[in-house]
Order: sequence, then C-alpha cells, then structure tokens
Amino acid sequence: MNQLIYNFAAWLDSHRWSTLLHESFYMYNWVETTHVLTLMLSLGMLFLVDLRLLGYAFPDVPASAVAGRLKLPMLVGFTLMVVTGLLLFYAIPVRSAQSVWFRIKFLLLIAAAINAFLFHRRMRESVAAWDTDQRAPRRLRAAAALSIIFWVLIVICGRLIAYNWFDCEYDQPAFVSAVAGCIAGQELY
Amino acid sequence: MPKRYLALLAIGFLAISGSWKAWSHHAFSAEFDKDAPVTLRGKVTKIEWINPHAWIHLAVEQEDGSTVAWMVEGGTPNTLLRAGVNKNSLPIGTDIVVRGYQSKDAACRPACKANGRDLVFADGRRIFMGSSGTGAPKDGYDPRDK
Repeated sequence: MNQLIYNFAAWLDSHRWSTLLHESFYMYNWVETTHVLTLMLSLGMLFLVDLRLLGYAFPDVPASAVAGRLKLPMLVGFTLMVVTGLLLFYAIPVRSAQSVWFRIKFLLLIAAAINAFLFHRRMRESVAAWDTDQRAPRRLRAAAALSIIFWVLIVICGRLIAYNWFDCEYDQPAFVSAVAGCIAGQELY
Repeated sequence: MPKRYLALLAIGFLAISGSWKAWSHHAFSAEFDKDAPVTLRGKVTKIEWINPHAWIHLAVEQEDGSTVAWMVEGGTPNTLLRAGVNKNSLPIGTDIVVRGYQSKDAACRPACKANGRDLVFADGRRIFMGSSGTGAPKDGYDPRDK
C-alpha cells in the first residue's frame, strides 16, 4: 500500500507541471493563499449552519433558511478549496503523501464526508418538524458538533504539514516511519 | 470560567509554537553554525528552485576521489534572480565552488547541509547566494552588507 502511494506520488512528481508549479515565483503562493481564503469562506458558512443547529447562531431564523442562504457561498468556497488543495498536493506530491499530518487529515476528510452525507439525509427527512425550534434534535446536534470538530482538526493538520519533524528524509522511530509510509532507501525529494 | 480555559489554551499554544520549526524557513542562527565555515567544490546534482529558499545539491569531491552529497541553501529564487543567477545558470553537472556555513546538526542525513554565502563558477564569476538580514555573519560576501 505504502509502496503504491509512493509510486503514485513519485509519478506525479516526475511531471513537468508539478515542478513548474512548485518552483514558480508567485503561482504557488497564490494557490496556497487561495486555499486558505476559500477554506475560511467555506468553513465560515458551514460553521454558521452547524452553530444554528446547536442553537448558538440566529436561533430565531428557521434552520432551513440559514442553510439555504449560506449554501451558495459555501459551495463556491468549497469547490475552490478542493481545486487549490489538489494543486498543492500536485506541486509537492511525495513529501505530502508521506506526511503524517496529511495522512491524518485525509482520514478526517473521509470522516467529515460521511458525517456530512448522513447529516444531509437526516436533515432532509426531518427538518419540517423542528425548523423553527431554537435547537435541532439531538442526533442532528451531534452531527453538527462532529462537523465542527472534524473540520477544526482538518485545518490544524493541514497547517502542520508545513513542519518537518516527521519527514522521511530524517531518521525516524519505526512507528513514525510506518505511519508516514517511508520506503527504505527511497530517493531524496 | 471559559475565559480561564481560553487563557490556558493560548499559553499552551504559545509554549508549543515557540519550539516549532517550519519546513526550511528560519533565521540563519536557528539552523546554521557561523563558526563552521565550509568550502565545497563539486558538480551540481540537483536544483530545487523553491520558496522560501532555493537548494543546490552538490556531489562534493573528496581528496580520495569519492564524493559526498551536500545540499546548500540559498536565498529565495527571486533574490537569486536579482543577484544574476537562475535555474538555467546551474544545469546538472556544472562545476561550482560554494562557500558557506554548515548546519548545526552536522548530521549529513539525508545529505550534509550548509547555508551558501557565495557561489563561484568555473569561469571565475562570483555570485552572492545567501540571504541578508537573517542573522548570517557579515562576512563580506554580501555586496549589500554595510
């Protein structure tokens, strides 16, 4: 598995455009900045919806109205965030794929996606019954709280990718090396 | 109560962040030893023309004919461009001499590391390749150092 991931990342790294993006004078910085700004937009909207369900934001506005109005900016932000995120990975594929933080972040993203999927289904089924209540039913509140927790952790992990404590190019304890998926004798990237 | 938690959190964060080292962005003294000057003569093996610091990888020739892998940190690509050097000036295999300062850890893993101060081409052309104002020694290599 780790060998497969490494091979894929090394293949991406061999692309001319990957190097060009990483070594560009300004483009990489623009992509990185856009990633941060659009994640603020996307998560800012998402957290407002979550907080509405928890009863901490706009308690007197129907939950479906809050969700409906914030959906467009949230999705625009989300789309740009995903595109720029993929580009950031594409620019530095090997180091990212072998980053402990990136790997934790990836699992958290999957968890957040499953949570969002279940949350939307429950919300669609039941929103009419509690739309004007100050707080959503217990199970939806749990999903909203989980959504906030997952995304906060995702952002923290994303920020920590920049630090090199657990990079494969240094000597690491066996446990770290296994989690990061370091390949013995791999090339220096 | 919440205020106290917030204060604790903030203190914890500051305590940790003080000891954090960002991937290759730092002051000179955080990573390099001004008392360990090195002169490296060898062929370019790889160039990483990236922000915040460019890295030039060298196969440094030893007296017995073997080579040791070194990676030398330069300024930003933009600084180097203004100093008169870009990625195309340093094709793989170029013979260069780099003067600089070795990293404090001197671990040589995955390669020996140094902060480059100046770079001399085979034709004698000399270029300042370091970063000014980062706490690096004022060693006369930087023409802008006053």
